[in-house]
Amino acid sequence: MRRQYSQKMRAPAPRIPPPASSNNKTGQRQVMSTALNEIIRRAQRGDRDAFARLVEDHYASMFRFACRYCANRQDGEDVTQQACIKLARSLEQFRFESAFSSWLYRLVINTARDMHKSRRPAVSAEFEDIVAADSAETAIYLQQVVAQVDRMGEGFREVLALVIGEGLTHAEAAVILQVRESTVSWRLHEIRKRLSAQGQSGVDP
Amino acid sequence: MNDDKQLENLLRTIDDRPGEDARERALTAALRAFDEVQLEKKSGAASQGSAAPGRPTPEPHSFGRTIMQMLTANTTTQRWLYSGMASAAVLVLGVFIALQLPQNGTRLTPSEPLAEHYDPAAGAGALPAGGRDNVAALRPAPSPLPTAVEMDSALSHDGAAAEKLADSAVLSGLASHAVSGIDPLPRVQQEGRDRFDATVANPVKRVSAEPVSTFSIDVDTASYSFVRRQLNSGVLPQKAAVRLEEMVNYFPYDYPLPTDRSQPFSTHVTVLDSPWKAGNKLVHIGIQGYDVQGAQPRSNLVFLLDVSGSMNSPDKLPLVKQSMALLLERLRPDDSVAIVVYAGAAGTVLEPTPVKDRQKILSALERLQAGGSTAGAAGIQLAYRLAESSFIEEGVNRIILATDGDFNVGIDNPEELTGFVERKRDSGVFLSVLGFGQGNYHDSLMQALAQNGNGVAAYIDTFGEAQKVLVEEATSALFPIATDVKIQVEFNPATVSEYRLLGYETRMLAEEDFNNDAVDAGDIGAGHSVTAIYEITPVGSDSGVYSDSRYQESAGTSGGGDEYGYLKLRYKLPGEDSSRLISQPIGTDVTTTALLLREARFATAVAGFAQLLTGGKYLVDWDYRDALELASANRGDDRFGYRAEFIQLVRRAEVADAM
Repeated sequence: MRRQYSQKMRAPAPRIPPPASSNNKTGQRQVMSTALNEIIRRAQRGDRDAFARLVEDHYASMFRFACRYCANRQDGEDVTQQACIKLARSLEQFRFESAFSSWLYRLVINTARDMHKSRRPAVSAEFEDIVAADSAETAIYLQQVVAQVDRMGEGFREVLALVIGEGLTHAEAAVILQVRESTVSWRLHEIRKRLSAQGQSGVDP
Repeated sequence: MNDDKQLENLLRTIDDRPGEDARERALTAALRAFDEVQLEKKSGAASQGSAAPGRPTPEPHSFGRTIMQMLTANTTTQRWLYSGMASAAVLVLGVFIALQLPQNGTRLTPSEPLAEHYDPAAGAGALPAGGRDNVAALRPAPSPLPTAVEMDSALSHDGAAAEKLADSAVLSGLASHAVSGIDPLPRVQQEGRDRFDATVANPVKRVSAEPVSTFSIDVDTASYSFVRRQLNSGVLPQKAAVRLEEMVNYFPYDYPLPTDRSQPFSTHVTVLDSPWKAGNKLVHIGIQGYDVQGAQPRSNLVFLLDVSGSMNSPDKLPLVKQSMALLLERLRPDDSVAIVVYAGAAGTVLEPTPVKDRQKILSALERLQAGGSTAGAAGIQLAYRLAESSFIEEGVNRIILATDGDFNVGIDNPEELTGFVERKRDSGVFLSVLGFGQGNYHDSLMQALAQNGNGVAAYIDTFGEAQKVLVEEATSALFPIATDVKIQVEFNPATVSEYRLLGYETRMLAEEDFNNDAVDAGDIGAGHSVTAIYEITPVGSDSGVYSDSRYQESAGTSGGGDEYGYLKLRYKLPGEDSSRLISQPIGTDVTTTALLLREARFATAVAGFAQLLTGGKYLVDWDYRDALELASANRGDDRFGYRAEFIQLVRRAEVADAM
């Protein structure tokens, strides 16, 4: 049986950072990022309002990504909250060397990894919590897929969440994960291939 | 890509619109943390000597955290930001050199099934196929070469089939997996060689549960070069780039040469106390191949050089040229060399030319310039055609590919490429790869090529390394003296309770494959030495990691109380089909020479260092200082200065680690 989960497609959510919609590629981004940089600088200097603004502006996109990464809403919320706390503690270390969005992605990924280290995902125990997914079956299935990808090794789950989940290009994901673009491509290929290999050996219901 | 779409849709099934409550909670928690940080900053500035204020560390009593725990009950311990987040530990994985001597004769008869050459560990399919997406667009119009057309169409056919399969199988298969709830074993382990990240260190094993350990030797050295490169630039290498056995085997060891030519190599077993865990012992197995003197076979080489724009950096094309010039030095006047380049277009720069026309070859090399995009071209087919045109029976026929990893040489699917190279191997032409430049993920592909070609893998980062690989070790890289060398150790449960093999994670073999001559393994070149180290816990020592088993019989009754185990080696002479066996007991009370002890200790220092770089799970308190001490004390003659360099690296790592 072939399963097609064609969902009502929500409009693709904006990537981090979302504020100020921008169509003009470079010019406006420049303006936007200077404004953003200003807020970051103020927050780094200890401006509480600027920090609050920063969190408010980026919460939604962090949360969305965390959901894709964790494969469930509850964990997504936990990770995002933890990432926000982490943001407070480590914002000082942001040196404007990379895009703030890349840095945030890394922050969320690192947070999620740390949390997963201390808490083994107990897939079966959390069925009840998955309230928001369209159906419990889909949710369980999704968690299985993500767990499967997670087992492929370090960095695979991240690629899944960034490229498939967030729709980033391989190059963008590579910058965030600090690997080569080709590594991202390869991991993605592996994910496809191994998931499909999994399919072959499985029993077709 | 349809399956991508399905995955994407699947990921989108989670409602990811932020909940207001959660958002508020997060904001509150974040602001509290923020206030705390500000407070710390102030007090940190006031009271000097307080723990580095700027550095985020776990704070068991932090208020923000308490709040947070109250709010989200299942959020447990947190570790704050990796400092590593800031340090851009760029993945450096290189390309390998896979030098391969023809094993003329029966071994290469085309009738022999391909599968038999295929190491299941590597062959299980999952070759890296990175860059395929990107490369596909660059694939040129059908090449004028018939072979190329064939390859291309075969490729796209396979590709399409694979897509279809994936399309239909991914979801249904996984769904059924979800339903059945059976957790398949992670495939990572079985496919060790097809990936470079997250190799798990060999675990400690109970002798009572698994007394036999089997692996293939590995004479690659590439890992050490990556690690050196990283450390020299002040960064700790990525853990995945560290392969213990390749670091240990980078160094030449002064093991006594075999006295008797009937065996191509001698084996030396040394048992010493474990420096990092009192009570444990290290069993050190050193294998030394004999060195060929005099006549070397004639060579027919085709250099296949990547001259794309990305090669335009001092450590790439110029180094390639220098390396090739070095290699020329090692060739005989009647050997033949040809040069093929690929970039915007593939072309023959130099038709097969005898080495005695040195100047002609050198000036052809000199004229090469990097530029243009790496268009997938018929480079590799062209190179094979040239090699076949000047084929030397009973000689070395080899293509030497030098690249920075943009490996799109006409066949852009790694599996296809490996298959192609393998088929060509049967015709007697071999492919060797020299990796240049930084940040090369094709590690895995090169490993696969090297393994399928029984080759040596190396990575050229400096002129010194080119010198080492192409001049000092040319004979060992070029002329194997034993192929498919496997090691099997059976431990004696009466004397050993636990053991652990250091390194060789990607070279593990199934116990039954030891006696199966169809299973491929590593080769030993002329003059090569190979080292393997086991850490064992003798019976009665409390230094093991397992607690005593209540129901297991405590000691074997098979006797042999004066042996830790029994070492067996299988190998084939080049060109032979059936393997030979060498075996010897590992005594508990082996007498050894001061020389062997020194070499074993140096190898131990390197092995310990490699473990430190990967986390040092088994090292207790042993650290860089201990590695430094052990290495310095056992430097020996160190003719080429490799060990001195190692000691410098340990210092660098210590500094980098402290940062």
